[in-house]
Amino acid sequence: MNARLARICVMTGVLAVVLLPIYWLVSTSFKSNREITQEGTLYPHVPTLDNYVRLFTEKQFGSYLTNSLVVTFFSVAIALVVGAMGAYAIARFRLPFAMDRKVGLFLLTLRIIPPVVILIPVYLLMLSLGLLDSWLGLIATYTAFNVTFCVWMMESFFREIPVDLEEAAMVDGDSRFGAFRRITLPLAAPGLAATAIFAVLVTFNEFLFALALTATPRAMTMPRGTATLIGRIDTDWASMAAAGVIGALPIVLFALLVQRHLVRGLTMGAVK
Amino acid sequence: MQSGTQARKYRLQGAGLDLALPYLMLAPGLMIVLGVLVYPLLDGLKASTRTYRYGSPISDVGLQNYVHLWSDAQFLNSLWVTVKFVALSVSIEAVLGFALALFCLREFRGIRLLRTVLIIPMVITPVVVAIVFRLIYASDAGMLTALSEAMGGGAMQILGNPLNAFIGLVVLDVWEWTPLMFLILLAGLQSLPQEPFEAARVDGAGAWRVFADLTFPMMRPVLAVAIVLRTIDAFGTFDQVFVLTRGGPGEATRLVSIYGYDTAFKFQQTGYAAALFVTIGLVVLALAFSAIRLLRRIDAS
Repeated sequence: MNARLARICVMTGVLAVVLLPIYWLVSTSFKSNREITQEGTLYPHVPTLDNYVRLFTEKQFGSYLTNSLVVTFFSVAIALVVGAMGAYAIARFRLPFAMDRKVGLFLLTLRIIPPVVILIPVYLLMLSLGLLDSWLGLIATYTAFNVTFCVWMMESFFREIPVDLEEAAMVDGDSRFGAFRRITLPLAAPGLAATAIFAVLVTFNEFLFALALTATPRAMTMPRGTATLIGRIDTDWASMAAAGVIGALPIVLFALLVQRHLVRGLTMGAVK
Repeated sequence: MQSGTQARKYRLQGAGLDLALPYLMLAPGLMIVLGVLVYPLLDGLKASTRTYRYGSPISDVGLQNYVHLWSDAQFLNSLWVTVKFVALSVSIEAVLGFALALFCLREFRGIRLLRTVLIIPMVITPVVVAIVFRLIYASDAGMLTALSEAMGGGAMQILGNPLNAFIGLVVLDVWEWTPLMFLILLAGLQSLPQEPFEAARVDGAGAWRVFADLTFPMMRPVLAVAIVLRTIDAFGTFDQVFVLTRGGPGEATRLVSIYGYDTAFKFQQTGYAAALFVTIGLVVLALAFSAIRLLRRIDAS
């Protein structure tokens, strides 16, 4: 009985700590600025959708959302295809100079370096290529980052699949690449899904490079656009809260939908 | 075993076009990474030995930028703030995450709800996490002020006070990342072999003895990996600070990432900022590799 009571207390406590801040964000987004600053209410007494309407009519949140979706889609899709092939190559083939092992280690090293470290040269590169404030500049950057961990994650998924299956397919007349495409790739699908989901999360949420590489609604992504609302001296709390809700909603819904694969992707590697 | 799989890999390699296949498969990925990450990384090394004006190099200064870093009080302060931030946040997250994972190890009703809810903080866009906490801390509109006023108190000053702002940042990080710690450690706990625990139960060992003699030693590698991962990640924290405090008040929450960003984009000292980031990159790599060596030693013992 005692243990049960303790369990309920801990549960309630954790849920409250996680959900209260989110409740406050959502409830603020339905208040007017007057209600927020002058009345300090604990829930919206006069709920309004004005804040949301303003984001799309005055603040170009439609463009931000489009930019985010386009950039995320292409950089994740390209990185997955390219990364799956690269991962397979180092998981299954023996390359000269132990390259099969060195490539993995090399990509892992790149992954460890904080992204902020190469911010300046990437900015200078995009400046010289004329790719500042464009989809292409962001897609190129995000694809490269995604490739580093796509190869690394997928390599371990490919290793888990027995080689015998491919050998059997090849004995039956499949080509080397055909065996990869028809046998190994489908078998590795859950792992690939976990990788893809992780890539989507990281890419959609990225802010630092979007901050340095974009400047107008032409290419600004959601996090970047949301951050532009802030930092002015007279703070528009109501818009900020609504922007927070809109900015986070797509990715939170996505994460809850694919929850199972997500947990696998997030915790993998650490436990092995 | 190792040589067996190596031989097997070789056997699969075949001849003709198949011989080139691994290179063809590796090439696209490597080209993107070399072009967009490695080339800039080397370019950054070069930039770090120069001074810049309006984004173009004007003179070579050798290692002077690097030497200058160590007498730059603002850099040293940002390094100190970062170390404090990382050490405090990650250790709190490890303790809370471990406790919560132990608590959730036995299946009970509501655990699925708990796991689902705990996913939210770590998937929310970091920029939005910072907005959430600005709305909590704001002295005029914040949740803390509203709660304090509802209970008859006055406005709460969080982001205007150096110490409070720093603590506020740590609280944000703990809120955002304890769930990840929890998930990793729970997965670790669930993968432990059951026999030793059953034997201990038969022997009538108490909960504390089981934890100290079995759970903790067996969990050490997973715990270490989780801490290393979080530490590396926390070192690069940028978004949350940029939106929450922008490094202030004063320099109270100015992490190295923020200082480097301002040096490059606000003060336009491109070369100096490049040297700063190269230094940070080396520090993190050194940290990571010594951690990996340490882990190997734990694994071996």
